[in-house]
Amino acid sequence: MTATAPPAAPARRLRPARLSPLDVLRTGGSGLRSRPARVFLSALGIAIGIAAMIGVVGISTSSTEELDRKLDALGTNLLTVAPGETVGGGEAHLPAEATEMIGDIAPVQSVSAVGLTEARVYRNDRIPAEETGGIGVYAARTDLPATVGARVTGGRWLNTADTAYPAVVLGPDAAAQLGVHAAGPGVQVWLGGRWFTVVGLLAPTELAPELDAAALIGWPAAEQEVGFNGYATTIYTRTEETAVEDVQAVLGATANPQEPTSVEVSRPSDALAAKEATDDALNGLLLGLGAVALLVGGVGVANTMVISVLERRAEIGLRRSLGATRGQIRTQFLCESLLLSALGGIGGVLLGIGVTAGYASYQGWPAVVPLWAMAGGVGATLAIGALAGFYPAVRAARLPPTEALAAR
Amino acid sequence: MTDANGAPATPVLELHGVSKTYADVHALAGADLTVRRGELLAVVGPSGSGKSTLLNIMGTLARPTTGAVRVDGHDIDELTDRELSALRATAIGFVFQQFHLAPGVRALDAVADGLLYSGRPLRRRRRLAEQTLRRVGLGHRLGHEPHQLSGGEKQRVAIARAVAGAPALLLADEPTGALDSRSGAAVMELLHGLHRAGTTVVVITHDREIAAALPREVRLRDGRIETDTADGGGRTGPTRADRPGARDRRALREARP
Ligand SMILES: Nc1ncnc2c1ncn2[C@@H]1O[C@H](COP(=O)(O)OP(=O)(O)O)[C@@H](O)[C@H]1O
Ligand SMILES: [Mg+2]
Repeated sequence: MTATAPPAAPARRLRPARLSPLDVLRTGGSGLRSRPARVFLSALGIAIGIAAMIGVVGISTSSTEELDRKLDALGTNLLTVAPGETVGGGEAHLPAEATEMIGDIAPVQSVSAVGLTEARVYRNDRIPAEETGGIGVYAARTDLPATVGARVTGGRWLNTADTAYPAVVLGPDAAAQLGVHAAGPGVQVWLGGRWFTVVGLLAPTELAPELDAAALIGWPAAEQEVGFNGYATTIYTRTEETAVEDVQAVLGATANPQEPTSVEVSRPSDALAAKEATDDALNGLLLGLGAVALLVGGVGVANTMVISVLERRAEIGLRRSLGATRGQIRTQFLCESLLLSALGGIGGVLLGIGVTAGYASYQGWPAVVPLWAMAGGVGATLAIGALAGFYPAVRAARLPPTEALAAR
Repeated sequence: MTDANGAPATPVLELHGVSKTYADVHALAGADLTVRRGELLAVVGPSGSGKSTLLNIMGTLARPTTGAVRVDGHDIDELTDRELSALRATAIGFVFQQFHLAPGVRALDAVADGLLYSGRPLRRRRRLAEQTLRRVGLGHRLGHEPHQLSGGEKQRVAIARAVAGAPALLLADEPTGALDSRSGAAVMELLHGLHRAGTTVVVITHDREIAAALPREVRLRDGRIETDTADGGGRTGPTRADRPGARDRRALREARP
């Protein structure tokens, strides 16, 4: 300063004003409003990625929910006992009193059994003997449906009076093979070398799918008419829910005290759950595709932001001349990037919910999208927005005001 | 320039030995200049003479290579970039040849956004913007977007944006450069009006006629200040452009803070 300059006025401290959060949002959004088409397209990339991930999670959750409901309805307390192989490797059979012994276990609520016979069943007496079609003829106790949860769709179940008239009940697959569409007095099949009347048809039995391809006849009829040896080949038992594991542990020894290890004990609901869970590999693939889409979407947002900064150098210069600090410029573009990807994220979550709902309703499942997936989806897009916007925002902030203003 | 008591008004802007060099180009060399509160002056010179460089330094958008700059009592050498931003937000208004109005933004919002970094809440910004637009004669164009405005109107919106926060210093770089002569005259009229209302205005122009109509004229050539009418006694008495329309005068007096 020269001597002629007046004494410096006590200069007040200069402090940039803070923008209110609303002003930050408004400023960040201003760049988006003027370029709706570009915003839509770059948000779409993110949306597709998020939608894919939400869809995968939603569909698998919905399928699990469906399984849970199904298991709730079917019960998870059914256990089956079957003879395994003897130590020598030969076919074992369960002791004749096994069913009764199991019924005596305290927490067991009900017990029933079927026994596979050697008999064959045919549509009529003119079919060659070798064309059996894989249908097993079983002796079944009359209390079987209650224990396994089998449902009769036509006609009725076997009863004690059926000894007089040879009667058979067919599982759905067996009925289809034998060309039987309805049960009734006039409907007969050729079983074990004589005619049996089809008195009932079963619906598919989820927990005992082996019954679907079975021709079921009464226990006494089996012994009298087709030479059944009387040994149960599968014993079904329902147990108090709280004691299923305990009962499972003692079933082998109870069924066959001599050779407990040869007995095969299983819990069909476990098998059902395991079958439903085998889509993991596909889910992994879809999640991977979603992640790739998300990555591509993120690159799209970064690209849009870089272009946006280049195109708007004059605006940046103007804002600097109006008093914006570097930090405020940086915040503006970061906010713009966050808004852009959040738009994609929210769109993607909605799209994913739509996909889940559509697929679930097509499958007849309940639609469930977990909250964590939605929150995670939006959270992920915000992280992507921050990453994608960081470099362009820093570049915008570093731009010297005069250079920015000179840009056209 | 003196105030009501005859004492010299305080300087708003002081440049001492300011030069700016780009690589081997001396855009500005050894410039000394003092602008006092309430002055209206022209910086005039041919294209490439360093006018914009000078304006950028006056407006703290660029720092000089050498020399000292004081703006509104602040030695800018001692200020950080953040503090310079705050200084621009409160003390300096800019008007550019290209208007710098964002497409699709209404005049009212453009002017209100000019106050964004001054710390005023949105409602105050809007109110001030409306007042200022009325003051520049655009009360009937508040909701108009740039494409609905003539060039002259756009520049008046830009001027409203620059002065809405009542800056100590208004810097205009070729404000009529993109306008036809009639719109240009109207814009100059407006700047005169603002000056009469107390604003300190520096107008950069290559147009000698426009420069000659202002109370003080600083001539630049090849980055050097060739003449400054303030040093050489200057012009006295009202100039042609100092005769405003009565309507304009009344409006400005009413709007004066
Ligand atoms: N950023 C820059 N880099 C290099 N040279 C520049 C830059 N800005 C201005 N100049 C040079 O400085 C001189 C003065 O430029 P400027 O101040 O824009 O002149 P005016 O506004 O009077 O036309 C010119 O020769 C110009 O080429
Ligand atoms: Mg210039």
